[in-house]
Amino acid sequence: MNFRLGSGRTLAAIAAIVFAVTACGSTGGGGTASPGKGTLTVAGFNFPESSILAEIYGKSLEHDGYTITYKLLLGTREVVAPALESGQIDVYPGYAATDLEFYNKGAGEASGDVTATTAKLNSHLSALGLVALTPSAAVDQNAFAVTKATQTKSNLTKLSDLAPIGSQLTLGAGPECPTRPYCQPGLQKTYGITFKAFKPLDTDGPLTRAAFKNGSIDVGLVFSSDGDLNSLGLVVLQDDKHLENADNVVPIMRQAAASDEVKRVLNAIDAKLTTADLVTMNSQVSIQHQDADAVATAWLQQHNYYS
Amino acid sequence: MASGCFLDYVDPWVNWTWLSTHVPLFWDALQQHIALTAFAVIGGLVLSLPLGVAAHQWPSLRNPVLAVFGVIYTIPSLALFALLVPYTGLGVVTAEAGLIGYTVLILVRNLLVGLESVPQDVIDAADGMGYRPFARLVRVELPLALPAIFAGVRIATVTTIGLVTITALIGLGGLGQLIYKGLIENFHTPLVVATVLSIALALVVDLALIGVERLAVPWSRGTAG
Repeated sequence: MNFRLGSGRTLAAIAAIVFAVTACGSTGGGGTASPGKGTLTVAGFNFPESSILAEIYGKSLEHDGYTITYKLLLGTREVVAPALESGQIDVYPGYAATDLEFYNKGAGEASGDVTATTAKLNSHLSALGLVALTPSAAVDQNAFAVTKATQTKSNLTKLSDLAPIGSQLTLGAGPECPTRPYCQPGLQKTYGITFKAFKPLDTDGPLTRAAFKNGSIDVGLVFSSDGDLNSLGLVVLQDDKHLENADNVVPIMRQAAASDEVKRVLNAIDAKLTTADLVTMNSQVSIQHQDADAVATAWLQQHNYYS
Repeated sequence: MASGCFLDYVDPWVNWTWLSTHVPLFWDALQQHIALTAFAVIGGLVLSLPLGVAAHQWPSLRNPVLAVFGVIYTIPSLALFALLVPYTGLGVVTAEAGLIGYTVLILVRNLLVGLESVPQDVIDAADGMGYRPFARLVRVELPLALPAIFAGVRIATVTTIGLVTITALIGLGGLGQLIYKGLIENFHTPLVVATVLSIALALVVDLALIGVERLAVPWSRGTAG
């Protein structure tokens, strides 16, 4: 008798939990149908810049009348690519060279030429029913920075400007830099820069920051859209001879979802987006801990989407 | 392509101002964490009960069942999700397929241990009283196996509360989402608060399960776990 009573309570408790969970599940799923232009699912990877870009894409499409579902902070392309191919998501903010090297399984076809890289990317995507839209000028790639003081003193704007003075400068980067084509050998070959010395540090990490601060390096490897470049007083030199792979921001979409109108909206965003915008927005999210969707809304307001 | 952010600025362990404006974020994550865990354990139980009973009735099934779920237990979650996403989507089904798969091994093992520990003379007595095998299982063997089953549920639940965090890979993850955010943005507050919440959740749920066990199996008081 005792057991029967006990098990009855257990069953009731379990039933209550099951009910609560199924109730949660049904409210959590799919958005409500709206009389708008249809529903699109925008995905993003798990780093702040990707959330910001996904929010900007999503909000601009929402502004145009689409209903948007977000799938943000997803792990890696290994998870996102199959989800895109199977229609679980419709678009994600990609990077031309990185995505090309993902979809061609690391064949090394990416180059510093963004048009050629995107064309190659599209040749791989079309077989999967996917398409890359027009790449933005905004880029998140390996870059070489100097301090504002160095920039002003030697009047530097682009990497070519380093060639005549390279013999007075020390380069700092990860220890693999002297053997990697995108790093020291590339700077030598493409730009004719021979440095006075090389300091093995880290790739875009705290050692590089510290070395800039204490003056032990003059030129350092960073990523072009790092949020802390401004606050650290670092200036990225323009890669005028396209040594680095073109990791320009580019929406990767399902062809079935890429109507002319969607393409127009997203291409208009990418035409306005700059690397400086990425640096600013990354610093707002990563350093000031603002929310990505608020940062995205602010960018759209600046660009007169809501006026 | 990745962005690293390293500053001299010292991030406090908990930024209370930020936390006070982001309470709903933690509340939603906690609810999702609880729902994912509850579903995984209940789903695991629903699967393990017939599997465990079958493996007990037909001992030749025992090793194959344990081996299959032992193998599933070793599949890296990233690989499992990448394989499942095209079929089951980026969502609850994929997450639960992984989580339930991981709980079944623990639950089946405990169910078997419980059923095997039923004394032979009790089974003989039940047979002597005229119980048919199914009635004997339901009214004699399973009730006697309950303490071991509860021990399995407690281990599975606490393990799952930790495991749920990995479903952040497919955009779920409950509190794992916030732990991830803290790691990626080098921001202590979500990392610390979500970790503390997840430990607290494991403790509270474990205590609650002990309470439920005392109600369901009053005769085993003090010997559980």
